[in-house]
Amino acid sequence: MSTKIDPITRSVVQHRLSSIVKEMGEAMLRTSYSQILNSSRDFSLAICDVSARLIAQADHLPVHVGALPWATIAVEERFKDVVPGDVILLNDPYHGGSHLPDLTVFVPVFAGDKRLLWTIVRAHQSDIGGATHGAYNPGATEIFQEGLRIPPIKLYEAGRPREDLLDLLALNVRNPREFRGDLAAMLGAAHLGERRVSKLFAEFGAPVVEAAIEAILDATEQQTRAVVSTWKDGIFHGEAFLDDDGHGRSDIRIAAKVTKNGSDIEVDLSGSDPQSTSFVNSSHANMQAAVAMAFAYLIDAEIPKNTGALRPLKVIAKQGTIVWADPGRPVTLCTSHPSNEIVEAIIKAMSASCPERAMAGWGRRFRIAIQGEDPRTGRDFIWHMFHARPGGGASSGGDGWSSIGEWHSVGGLKFGSLEVAEVRFPLHFRQHEFRAGSGGDGQFRGGLGVSLDLVLETEKPAKGNTAGDGVRYGPCGMLGGEDGQPHRYRLLSEGREPRLLRTKEVGIELHPGDCLEVRSSGGGGWGPPSLRSANARQRDAEQGLTGTRAEQRS
Amino acid sequence: MFRIGVDVGGTYTDLVATDETGRTIFAKSPSTPADQSLGVMAGLEELARRLGVTRAEMLATTERLVHGTTVATNALLERKGAKVALLTTEGHRDIIEMREGLKPDRYDLRSPPPEPLVPRERRFGVRERLKANGEVLTPLDAGSLGDAIAAVRTSGATSVAVCFLHSYLNPVHERAAVEHLTKELPGISVSRSSDVLPQIKEYERVSTTIVNAYVEPVVRRYLTNLEARLTEAGFKGSLFVVLSHGGMAPVEEASRLAAGTVLSGPAGGISGSRRCADLLKIPDLVPFDMGGTSTDISLIADGQVSLSADGMLAGQRIALRSLDIASIAAGGGSIASVDSSGTLRVGPESAGSVPGPACYGNGGTAATVTDANVVLGYLDAAAFMGGARPLDRAAAEAAVDRIAASLELSRLEAAAGIHKMINLTMADGIRLMTLRRGVDPRKFALLSFGGAAGLHAAEVARELEIKRIIVPTVASVLSAWGMLTSDLRYELSRTHYGAGPRISAGEVRELFAELERQAAGRLRSWFNGPVSIERSAEMRYGEQVFEIDVSLTDLDLAAPDIVEQIEERFHRRHEELYTYASRGQEVVFVNARVAAVGAVAPIDRDTGSATSSGACSPRATRQAFFGGWREVPVYSLDALQPGHSLAGPAIIEAETTTVLVDSGDRVTVNALGWLDIRLR
Repeated sequence: MSTKIDPITRSVVQHRLSSIVKEMGEAMLRTSYSQILNSSRDFSLAICDVSARLIAQADHLPVHVGALPWATIAVEERFKDVVPGDVILLNDPYHGGSHLPDLTVFVPVFAGDKRLLWTIVRAHQSDIGGATHGAYNPGATEIFQEGLRIPPIKLYEAGRPREDLLDLLALNVRNPREFRGDLAAMLGAAHLGERRVSKLFAEFGAPVVEAAIEAILDATEQQTRAVVSTWKDGIFHGEAFLDDDGHGRSDIRIAAKVTKNGSDIEVDLSGSDPQSTSFVNSSHANMQAAVAMAFAYLIDAEIPKNTGALRPLKVIAKQGTIVWADPGRPVTLCTSHPSNEIVEAIIKAMSASCPERAMAGWGRRFRIAIQGEDPRTGRDFIWHMFHARPGGGASSGGDGWSSIGEWHSVGGLKFGSLEVAEVRFPLHFRQHEFRAGSGGDGQFRGGLGVSLDLVLETEKPAKGNTAGDGVRYGPCGMLGGEDGQPHRYRLLSEGREPRLLRTKEVGIELHPGDCLEVRSSGGGGWGPPSLRSANARQRDAEQGLTGTRAEQRS
Repeated sequence: MFRIGVDVGGTYTDLVATDETGRTIFAKSPSTPADQSLGVMAGLEELARRLGVTRAEMLATTERLVHGTTVATNALLERKGAKVALLTTEGHRDIIEMREGLKPDRYDLRSPPPEPLVPRERRFGVRERLKANGEVLTPLDAGSLGDAIAAVRTSGATSVAVCFLHSYLNPVHERAAVEHLTKELPGISVSRSSDVLPQIKEYERVSTTIVNAYVEPVVRRYLTNLEARLTEAGFKGSLFVVLSHGGMAPVEEASRLAAGTVLSGPAGGISGSRRCADLLKIPDLVPFDMGGTSTDISLIADGQVSLSADGMLAGQRIALRSLDIASIAAGGGSIASVDSSGTLRVGPESAGSVPGPACYGNGGTAATVTDANVVLGYLDAAAFMGGARPLDRAAAEAAVDRIAASLELSRLEAAAGIHKMINLTMADGIRLMTLRRGVDPRKFALLSFGGAAGLHAAEVARELEIKRIIVPTVASVLSAWGMLTSDLRYELSRTHYGAGPRISAGEVRELFAELERQAAGRLRSWFNGPVSIERSAEMRYGEQVFEIDVSLTDLDLAAPDIVEQIEERFHRRHEELYTYASRGQEVVFVNARVAAVGAVAPIDRDTGSATSSGACSPRATRQAFFGGWREVPVYSLDALQPGHSLAGPAIIEAETTTVLVDSGDRVTVNALGWLDIRLR
């Protein structure tokens, strides 16, 4: 770069870029239509450059962010003829996407005739067509059964929307109204970002902004390397397991070999098990994102999460394995599984290199969706469970957070009000309280999962689907800490034997009055239980958090 | 007869008195955090002295004393509230600790969770349950309630929050529980959720009720004590407290709804700003109150302040409607640092008042925004606080030099960088605020007050393309001054639960009629003037989660198409805020809100007339940095008269604030003696 940049200008540009993505997030939160976005916040914002480098991002969902540069590569490869006013859309996991429900829009930012940056919004849609509602289809054996595939396409050409294409997309999803509303919100947020970045170019001149961006990435790299170089060198191994793939295979292993040398880290996942026939496979972009996510959790929270921070990281993986499936394989579960296991395997490996930084296991995802008719209105409803959040892992900083989420969401997904849910859906939340004894024991205890007893108040039978993992493998304990209790969900139905729910079931028959007894996992413990202070144990007992043996089993 | 406004701030207690002639007198007195009423009484003494009467004489002829207090705010921030227990629906006692599954920082996985205001061992489940339509599913179990009350007694709690699921529709179980509680534990403080916030969404309701229980005893004790001191000193008028929504209420009401006083202090500033907007006939104003450790930003759009129920303070969710004020933890005392990537950061750490900026000479060594302002020549080290507290220029330079060395820049470049970064932070805060309200900042004027605002207003305005800045002469006591014009206000809300998905005209009329009857009745018990009613509704589209507050005040509820009119209002407001409306989509009416407002008679003030014209002469000149070192004129604000005008670069100094005027910007002194700055 020829333009010399002073540290003040660099600081100013960095501040501006990060406030721009924040504003994009605010716009998204306020304007999106579906519950999954405006309440559960399952979306992310970023600015990438035309070389697909991540320049700035808003801290929403970590699992999205590391994937966006890969999506940008796919866009750049497809379109050489981008003009102002274009908008690109994609979702296909084999064209830079992570999984089909995540739509990503790109708006180019020009300085004069030179295209320099993209403002990017990725958001999870509540439906994307395919064989089952909401894209999570445990039965899928190929991606076509998971939903509509969108390679990079131009949704707008030079400022003109392609209404015909929009009609095509909206026709292929189950809730076109919501789909259009959410897409409008995404476009609004991306355009807001584009306008603000354009003003930044106008104020400083593009060469200065470009030079500042180089300086920001370089400085972040140095900052990250300074942290990494304090960790112990060596080759470290970690592994984590998926319970099963729902198609008959169990104990699917994710293996991480991490080579730490000076300020460089190489993560090699090629020892992981072969790919599956089911949706537990990961797409390539999602695998990259999961590795970046693990690394981001280990470095300092204050370091900006941009391409500079990821430069010390090299990722090796083998196509055809569970972490990088061959084209055409189903992958919908991948943003949760095997993402969670990839993170856990890497952090386990790194616990030998930087033990004070390695946190114990966070929860795994086990979702339920119920579809039926609300007797109060006669209307069909579909309800997605975001309640009963699992516990977070403990760390050298203290006990884990309770009711907080999984590795891939870490407190970024909100569950809505129970009162609102009871008004809108024929459901009764009899109990929704911490699950005593679920957090893994240790010097610092894992956060608690939740006990939810949910009663179905329909008059006609309803259907349930599940998608997830983690009923056999609980979140891992770290450095002598114990594992958290795994998930345990049961269906209690009058006249039928109580039965354990599996994590990948379609079409579960639910009768009026049935109770879903949901017990979500606690987080892993950190450090040997023998080191837990008497005071902390007494507080646990006073607060009724330890649970009896029986409670721990249930 | 006098009216007195008293604003207790962190450092100073500001007082303003006015009488029917329009005479306005200010006084300042050090705050006394341990018992704020001591500082208030001392301040009243000083105010009386300035009026040339005794305190007893002044108080005997004072009809109304309006008070902004930070007692609740401090109790919450410093965790010095009551020991609270919670009675809640069995099976649901962890709502506050679950925080809806959210955690603030996405990449900080090593910080432990915060301690809730009520720990789990004092959260007691009671067997009872209502259905989503308010009908009783499980009757309140006397034995279970008895056990819970016994447990409250054993726990030693002094205040109890009672919050059951769906109680916003039917408070029958909460009322019965409170009745037993007060019988069994006479004298214990009780906050009932169906009284504090009768609205759907249990996390908001339980959290707000707990905050109320936490601060109620503290606020009640303080206000009762203050009232007694005032009476003893000869006060015979009414004592009112400013609430977070900007209206005021008598002591009993402010104590009952103590969680509604957490923004009592800044609310006065917004009232003052609204009065400025009125006086100047500038309907769109950004009140910008920049102090030493924090900055409060709000918006007056179309002459109206905005209320929001999104409040959070000290990590606690408070869903009572309050003025929409963004508080940024940055100000003149914010510390500049260089992080490990070589990036300059300003804040969030602050030097506070102890040790304070390096230039205060109290042992502070970190470079603060104030130190940068000294280095840049904006602040006159010798004349700070009217010369009462000279600044140590050498210490400021040494502090800034350390930043400069880490950045490999000159002292001046580093200081200019610090100035720039803090201005960006301020501009970001204002931009997010305008984005949330769907307005364009460019059409606003910036109202600059608070000690540090004048040094930064011009650059902040330029960042936002704002063209006009107003600096009122009452800037330093704007909150206390604003309190004199606060209205009496009582708010009520109710969640609508209807038979069908769409509210009917009959339901609308019934809902508002009932709320208006209650609200007006309550207000009339406080005062005998005219009462007006404001109506609004919170609505959303079918699947949305955020409701939008839509004003319905001027609609005729008797109109046959009232539901259509209300829905049209909602579509239009949605479009204003979010650029689109989805006409044809289902609109859900969630909460009805009513405010009964008792307007106090305005105080006439002689708005004066231009008495001087043309140029005025500077008091001195000094070297200051305006893109380069310049010898710039320095004016004394006190010497500027209505009609005067001047052009930047210039510095205007007053006892408690300094105003920078950039090159090319023009200042005129308006009829009130205030600065009206037009940016180039």
